[in-house]
Amino acid sequence: MDPAPARYAIRIHGHLGATVLSAFPALVPHWNGADTVLTGRLDRSALYGVLAEIEALGLELVEVRQVTQRRGSPGSGDARFL
Amino acid sequence: MAVAPATLRLIDRGDLLAALDRAATGKVTIISAPAGSGKTSLLRTWAHRLDRQDRLAVVQVQRCQQDAQQFWLALLGAVRHVSGTAGNVERPAATPDFNGRAMVGRVLAALGEHRTFLVIDDLHELQAPGALGQLTELLTSLPPQMHAILATRRDVRLGLHQLRLAGELTEIRAADLRFTEREARELLKASGVALSEAGTALLHRRTEGWAAGLRLAAISLADHPDPERFVAEFSGSDRTVAEYLLAEMLERQPDDVQQLLLRTSLLDRVNGELADLLTGRPGSERILLGLEDANAFVLSLDPERTWFRYHHLFADLLRLELRRRLPEEVPELHRCAAGWFTRQGLPVEAIRHTQAAGDWPGAARLLADHSFSMALDGQTQTIQALLQEFPPGADHPELPLVHATVDLVQGRLDEAAAHLAIAETYVEAAPLDRQRRLDVAIASLKLSLARRRGHFAAVLEQATFLDSPVTGQSDEDIALGGDLRAVALMNLGIVEAWSLALPDAERHLREGAFLARRIGRPYLEVSCLAQLGFASKIRPFATTRRRCREAIDLADRHGWGAEPIVAPALITLAANLIWTGEFDEAERELQRTERALQTDTGPGIRLLMHIGRGMLHAARCRHHEALGEFTAAEQLRSQLEGSHALASQVTGWMLATQARLGMTTEARAFLAGLDAEAASAGEIRNACGVIHLAEGDPAAALPEVAAAADGTAPVIGYVTVVESHLLAGLAHRQLGDQRAANQAVERALGLAEPDRLVLPFVMTGSGEMLEALPRHETAHAALLADILDVTRGSSLAARDGSAPPQTEDLSPTELRVLRYLPTNMSRSEIAGELSVSVNTVNTHVRSIYAKLRVRDRSAAVQRARELRLLAAGRRS
Repeated sequence: MDPAPARYAIRIHGHLGATVLSAFPALVPHWNGADTVLTGRLDRSALYGVLAEIEALGLELVEVRQVTQRRGSPGSGDARFL
Repeated sequence: MAVAPATLRLIDRGDLLAALDRAATGKVTIISAPAGSGKTSLLRTWAHRLDRQDRLAVVQVQRCQQDAQQFWLALLGAVRHVSGTAGNVERPAATPDFNGRAMVGRVLAALGEHRTFLVIDDLHELQAPGALGQLTELLTSLPPQMHAILATRRDVRLGLHQLRLAGELTEIRAADLRFTEREARELLKASGVALSEAGTALLHRRTEGWAAGLRLAAISLADHPDPERFVAEFSGSDRTVAEYLLAEMLERQPDDVQQLLLRTSLLDRVNGELADLLTGRPGSERILLGLEDANAFVLSLDPERTWFRYHHLFADLLRLELRRRLPEEVPELHRCAAGWFTRQGLPVEAIRHTQAAGDWPGAARLLADHSFSMALDGQTQTIQALLQEFPPGADHPELPLVHATVDLVQGRLDEAAAHLAIAETYVEAAPLDRQRRLDVAIASLKLSLARRRGHFAAVLEQATFLDSPVTGQSDEDIALGGDLRAVALMNLGIVEAWSLALPDAERHLREGAFLARRIGRPYLEVSCLAQLGFASKIRPFATTRRRCREAIDLADRHGWGAEPIVAPALITLAANLIWTGEFDEAERELQRTERALQTDTGPGIRLLMHIGRGMLHAARCRHHEALGEFTAAEQLRSQLEGSHALASQVTGWMLATQARLGMTTEARAFLAGLDAEAASAGEIRNACGVIHLAEGDPAAALPEVAAAADGTAPVIGYVTVVESHLLAGLAHRQLGDQRAANQAVERALGLAEPDRLVLPFVMTGSGEMLEALPRHETAHAALLADILDVTRGSSLAARDGSAPPQTEDLSPTELRVLRYLPTNMSRSEIAGELSVSVNTVNTHVRSIYAKLRVRDRSAAVQRARELRLLAAGRRS
C-alpha cells in the first residue's frame, strides 16, 4: 500500500451542480464534454470516501485515474464553471 | 420497509415480479444495483402479492451499521415476530457481550414451519466485522421453507458460490431493474401525468430508465403547467439526472414542504412533532403523510404511520442542499433535535445529535448522565460506539465515569478503578442538580468493582444503606434510588453467595430480581436470577437446576442467552450435571458458558469456569488436564481479595489430583504452606488422605478422611462427606478389610442417593471397589448401576432434557417395584421386601413392561435407566 497522497482525476457522467459538488469540497471540478472531472490530492482513505459518496449520490462513475504532477495545476486551461 | 399504505402507487413490474417468484424457489436472491434503482419499491410491490399464509420478515440495515449485535437483534426480532415465537417477550435487547455465531443458531431456531421470506434491505450498510461471515453461515444453512432476499447497492462479500453452483442463488442487477418505456408510461400515468408518447420516450431515454429519476420527474410533472416543455428542457441539460430533478422537484414544492424536507433531512427518522419543532411551524405530520402518499421518497416506519424516513439517495441530496443553503443553521438543528430526543428519554439519539452539533462537552455530559442506566439495560456496545465518536485527544472530565462503566462490564478491573477514582474527584465539583445521579452511578460502580475484586468486606460496608428506608423527593430520585437498591441487592447477594452465607444470598438476590422487574430493568433481573442459580448450590440439585434453567430461559427469551450475565447460571448448571454424571450434557453447558464469557475476564467467574472444566476432566480420568484447570483456578483464587466460598474445594482438588498423578512431593510442599485454618477444612483433610493413599500409607489416610465424615472438620457441603467415606473405603480396601470398605461405600451411596451424586465415586477412582460390592448388600442398587455405567466410561443421558417421554407415567408403587429390577432379587424376594404378595408384584411388573414397552426384565432396566426412572432422588 502506498500511504502517500496522490493526485487523482475522477470522471463522472453528467454535469455536477452546486449541490452535489458540495459533497466533494476537497476536489476541484471541471467539465469535460458531457462529464465532470474531479481532481485533487487524496490519500487512500479519502479516495475511498469520495467513491462511497459517488455511490451514495447515485452518480455514474466513468473513470478513476492517478495523474502525475507534470500536467500542471488541476483544471488550468479548462473552463471553470464555478 | 414498513407495511405500505393502501394508497401507495406502486407500478406493477410484471417481469421483475415473475423473476422474483422464480428465484424464490431457491434459497437466496440478491438484488444488487446502485442507489435509486428501485430495489425497495420493487420489494414492496412484490411483498403485497404474497399469500396470506406466507411470512415476511423485513430487516432494514441501519446506516453504517458497525454493530453486529444490533443487526442480529433486529433480524432475530423480525423473524420471531413473523413466526409467532416472540410470545409475550419484549424485543431482544442489546447486551455488553454478544456472539454472532450463536445468533445464527437462534435465528434458525426461531423459524416456524410456514414458508418465510427474509428480506434484508441496504445490506451494503452492514460494516460490522464478522457480520457478513455470520450472515453467509445463516444463508447457506437456510431450511427449505425459508427464502432470503438481499438488497444492496454494491456487491458484498458473501461466500455463496456453493449456492450458486447448486442453482440456489439468483441475482438481479441494475440492468434488470431499469424501467422499460412501457413501465415509465405507467408510472407517469399512475402519478397523474399526461405526457405525449414522444415526451415519455424522451424522458425515458434521458433517465435511462433509472427509477429515482423517473419518480423525481413524475413528482415535478404531476401539476406542471407544461410537461412537454419540462421534459424538453431536462433532456437538453447536461446536469446529472438526480440533481437536476431534485432541484426542479424542490422548486415546485410549496415553501413549507421545502423547509420541512431540508430541515429534517439530518434525522435518521422523523415524526410530525419533531418536524414541527425543526421547522418552527405546525402541520408537519400532514405534509409527511401527503409526501408518502405521493410516492415522494418518504416511507413510514410503523403501521400507524407516525415515524417516517427518507429514501437514502433522497436524504443524501437533501442534506447537501441543506448544508449549501442554510449552513449556519445545521448545528442548531442538531441541537434542537438532541433536546427533543432527551426530553423523550431517547439518550442515544440525543447524544448522537449533540455530537453532530459539535457540542462535545454537552455530549460528554449527556453520556455521563446516561451511561450507568444504559449499562443496566445491557447497552455497553452502544456506549463504546458513542465514546469512539469523540475527537481523539479531547479531554472531557465527564468521560472517565463512562470509561469506568465499560471497563467494569468487560472485567478490566484495574482500569475501572483508575477511571472511577478520576470520576469521583470530578463529581464532587459537579453542579447539584446532577450530583445525585452521578453519585448513584459511582456508588453502584464501586459496589460492583469491590464485588468483582472479591473484596467482600467493602461490599457489605457499602451496602449498609439498604437498611435505611428509601428517601427522595422527585420521581428521578425515586428511580435512581430503585436502580441503586437493585444493584446493591445484587452485589450483596453475590458476595454472600461467595462467602457461603447462602440463605441471605438467596433472599437478597430474590429481592433484587423482584425490584429489578418492578422498575423495568429486565437485564438486571436476569443477572440477579442467574446469580440466584449459583447461590442455590446447597439446595437439592433439582432446585438448583430449576432455578438455573429459569434464569437461562428468561435470558434466552430476551436474546441474552449467550451473554456474560447468564454465565453464573450456566456454570452452576454444568457443575450440577457433572456431579450427577451427565457429562455430555454438562460439556455442552460448559461450552455455552465459555462462549458467554468471551469478553468478560473477571477473576471470580473465570475461576468457576476453571473449576467446572477441571471437574469434567477429572470425571473422565484426564488427570493431567484436570490438574491444569485446578491449578489455574487456584491461581485466580489467590488473586481475589478476601476468602472465597470454594477456596478449600479448589485447593483440595488440586492437591488430590497432584497426588493421583504421583506428584506427592509437590502436594506436600503446597500443603506445608497453608495456614492452620485453611489446612483444617474437610476438603483439605480429604486431600491429605489421598496423598497418604498415593504414598501407600492407608492407615495414615484413615484419621484424615474421618475428620470430614465425623463432623470435626468444617465442610462446604455434604459432597465432601461422601468423598471422605469413599476415601475411607479405599483405605480399608488397601488394608485388606473388604467388609469395612463395603460399609463405607454403603454410607457414601446412602448420602449420594437423594441427589444421585456420581462424581465423587468417579473422581476418587472407586470403580473397582464398587464392582466388588455385592449387589444384594446394597439398598442403592439403581444408583450403583448408574455409577458403574459411568466408571466404565459412559455418560448418563440428561434427565430433564431430550429423553423421549414416549412412555406412560409409572405409578409410585410401580416405581418402587421398578427399583428392585436391576438387583438379582427374585420376584418373591421383592414381594417380601415390599411386604406384598407375589401376585401383586407380578401385576406391577406386567404393568411396568407394558408402560415401558419392553418384554423382559433386562430391557426394562435398560429403558428405565434411559428414562432416568431408577434413581430414588428423581421426583416426577
